[in-house]
Amino acid sequence: MDAINTRAAPPLVQARVRPGRRRADAILRGFCAFATLLGIIVLGSILLMLIVEGVRGFTPTLLTQPTPGPGSEGGGIANAVLGSLILTTIGIVIATPVGVMAGTFLAEYGRTSKLAVLIRFLNDILLSAPSILIGLFVYTLMVRPMGSYSGWAGGIALAIIATPVIVRTTEDMLSLVPGTLREAGAALGAPPSMVIMKVSWRAASAGIVTGIILALARIAGETAPLLFTALNNNSWFSPDLMGGVPNLPVMIYQFALSPYSNWQQLAWAGALLITMTILALSVIARLVVKPQRAR
Amino acid sequence: MSHAAATAAAEPLMQPSAKAGADTKAPVRIAVKGLNFYYGQFHGLKDINLNFHDRQVTALIGPSGCGKSTLLRTFNRIYSLYPEQRAEGEILLDGVNILDSKVDLNDLRARVGMVFQKPTPFPMSIYDNVAFGIRLYEKLPKSELDDRVEASLRKAALWDEVKDKLKQSGMGLSGGQQQRLCIARTVAQRPEVILFDEPTSALDPISTGRIEELIEQLRDEFTIAIVTHNMQQAARISQFTAFMYLGELIEFSQTEKMFMNPTERRTQDYITGRFG
Amino acid sequence: MDAVFRGCAYGAALLVLTVLVGIIGSIVYGGLPAFREFGVGFLTSSVWNVGTEQYGALVAVIGTVMSALLALLIGVPVSLGIAIYLTQLCPGWARKPVAMTIELLAAVPSIIYGMWGLFIFAPLFARFVEIPISNVVEGLPIVGTVLYARIPSGVGVLTAGIILAIMIVPFVASIARDMLDQIPTILRESAYGVGCTTWEVTRFVLIRHASVSIIGAIMLGLGRALGETMAVTFVVGNANRLSASIFDPGSTIASRIANEFNEADGMQLNALMALGCILFVITFIVLIAARILTSRVRVA
Repeated sequence: MDAINTRAAPPLVQARVRPGRRRADAILRGFCAFATLLGIIVLGSILLMLIVEGVRGFTPTLLTQPTPGPGSEGGGIANAVLGSLILTTIGIVIATPVGVMAGTFLAEYGRTSKLAVLIRFLNDILLSAPSILIGLFVYTLMVRPMGSYSGWAGGIALAIIATPVIVRTTEDMLSLVPGTLREAGAALGAPPSMVIMKVSWRAASAGIVTGIILALARIAGETAPLLFTALNNNSWFSPDLMGGVPNLPVMIYQFALSPYSNWQQLAWAGALLITMTILALSVIARLVVKPQRAR
Repeated sequence: MSHAAATAAAEPLMQPSAKAGADTKAPVRIAVKGLNFYYGQFHGLKDINLNFHDRQVTALIGPSGCGKSTLLRTFNRIYSLYPEQRAEGEILLDGVNILDSKVDLNDLRARVGMVFQKPTPFPMSIYDNVAFGIRLYEKLPKSELDDRVEASLRKAALWDEVKDKLKQSGMGLSGGQQQRLCIARTVAQRPEVILFDEPTSALDPISTGRIEELIEQLRDEFTIAIVTHNMQQAARISQFTAFMYLGELIEFSQTEKMFMNPTERRTQDYITGRFG
Repeated sequence: MDAVFRGCAYGAALLVLTVLVGIIGSIVYGGLPAFREFGVGFLTSSVWNVGTEQYGALVAVIGTVMSALLALLIGVPVSLGIAIYLTQLCPGWARKPVAMTIELLAAVPSIIYGMWGLFIFAPLFARFVEIPISNVVEGLPIVGTVLYARIPSGVGVLTAGIILAIMIVPFVASIARDMLDQIPTILRESAYGVGCTTWEVTRFVLIRHASVSIIGAIMLGLGRALGETMAVTFVVGNANRLSASIFDPGSTIASRIANEFNEADGMQLNALMALGCILFVITFIVLIAARILTSRVRVA
């Protein structure tokens, strides 16, 4: 082998970098910027579509009147908005305690036990399971035995979708709480449940709240699981929530594909309303805590 | 070698023990002229003027945050990965100002190799780790490439340990071996200058000793700059030493002179352990 | 008090397990009659006839797999591009807002993607892609079949794939971004240090270093694409026809269930449940693979 340093150094500005390498690099940079731009354009065009089409549907009666019957004029989406609020509330009210407690079990009690590992795994599966299958499950579990669609079935279906999100964030956030903090609590003679409630939960509260808001954002727009559970209804619903309960997502689905132009208009208005709400929730969730990454 | 260091450490002023003395007549490879460096608003290096001689080891020492790593990182412009960092002034590599915007950074970095604080084998086989940098810049026939990889691994004193497992992942080696693999990878590109940024700070004493021997040998072919927080190490392996403090170059001279008879009070204080 | 609290936590955790078992149990229970009636033929038959009570899953299964694979084909490069842009190329000040915008794409409800796909994308797609391509390839072997639209309406399996791609991009991109962010700075610097261009650093060092988790992220995206319902229902065309052209309408398991379930009874209901079983098995396998590969990635 020749002495390593004998090569005459060409001036640095006349680079030895092969043109092919330069081209590949330029293509990569161009493609990555293009991909990102594409994402931004799609979001922009979705928002633009919603605003252009949706604003026209914002009539004075939008939030005061229920959805109109086929072929009749006017009307609003008041029943669907209220129905959606109720369904989402049922969902989150059930999912929050179950999710927080299950997350607490995983982070504080179960940890690396076999049961905890299994449940953590199943929760991850549930987190990504197709939501339409959850609709089928609740249909079999509630709608068929009760002989009727109901708001309760819809609420439970949403709860099943929200729970794994809350379990996951709760566990992640609790596992970020330093062990020394727990030990300090235990050293004062507090029983484990007290330490968890007064120390761990408090320390992780911002993260847990974020998880709940994210879950809320997730279920607020869910349509598939409501199709066979809460269904929809073209007027006000009965106070016991039995029978079809109108809700925004299913209303939008049915009205958008309907032949009546005032229905389509209402679908667009509903779509604008629900998307803005969900985007606002997502932004709020990210502002509550600077997302700490749990590993 | 490490025994010598241990005894030296006990004395107030260390005995420089590099095998070769400084060659003050060696041609200048890197000339730093009026270099200023900024991290955003922070003035990290202040008017640095300094020469690095051909086939000599120059050590950069000083307390943490003194700017020694910052200075090293200007020589291959690795700092320009971070838009908020910028350098002003001149750094001449063989007479070409590398701070010039026309300089091709990829080519510069192939010609000024760098070894980092921690071993950084790439996620590929041992062979490919070494061949990687060569393939970027040269199209060699297989047999020639094989020879080059072997020669580089030999120069890094790693060949005997890995010759039977060249196809295995470089991540499977021990820390010291990984660092020597990184040195082989750098040497394989035949750079003109090799920068070492605290190359032994993550290694055990035995691996450290090996790397130091290696640097001594590499000096025959390469101009070497090394940042170290370990003054004994600087005394053991370098011919020239630069002492930096708070972004300024306080003193630069032959290592022997620096450790036996520093001109500056602050240098003496640092070397004798009064601060830093 | 302590025991009660512990019991509650334990119970809540068991509930998660029970729900998943319940989901499996209910769709297997509902689908069993169809599997019994049609046997293996259920998987291989493309007939779906309510009048004669003959049902086969083939069209829906192919539509599901096809649209999901098309989604990956389009979505994965775009996701990686975004992840690379955000971690390697984006100027510092723009990182947060751009990342936030991409993440907001994940929050848009699936029904909105359906409307966008049907009312905005499909007409453009028909006019600028389907019709010109169909005109060019007409009569050619293979491409003349695969890329020929008999009725260039803009809806079909490929449209579903594209909309699904848009929907999985924010997920895959955000996980891939986390993975790239976790790579030690020093490894990245040393790759640049041997004179690599950004492309080479990314291709040979960063992507390779994070490859296992990136494959996991892709599987997670695949799981989502397979089970996505509403957006697909809007744009897939909902036809029970076996067609070799990706421009032609088709259906997926989820879209068929969404379309027919409310009006179904008897064997049709069982057949839809059986479709649900098949969907569950496919996604379950994909998700397990994904979870094993990503072990613990934050996905919320």
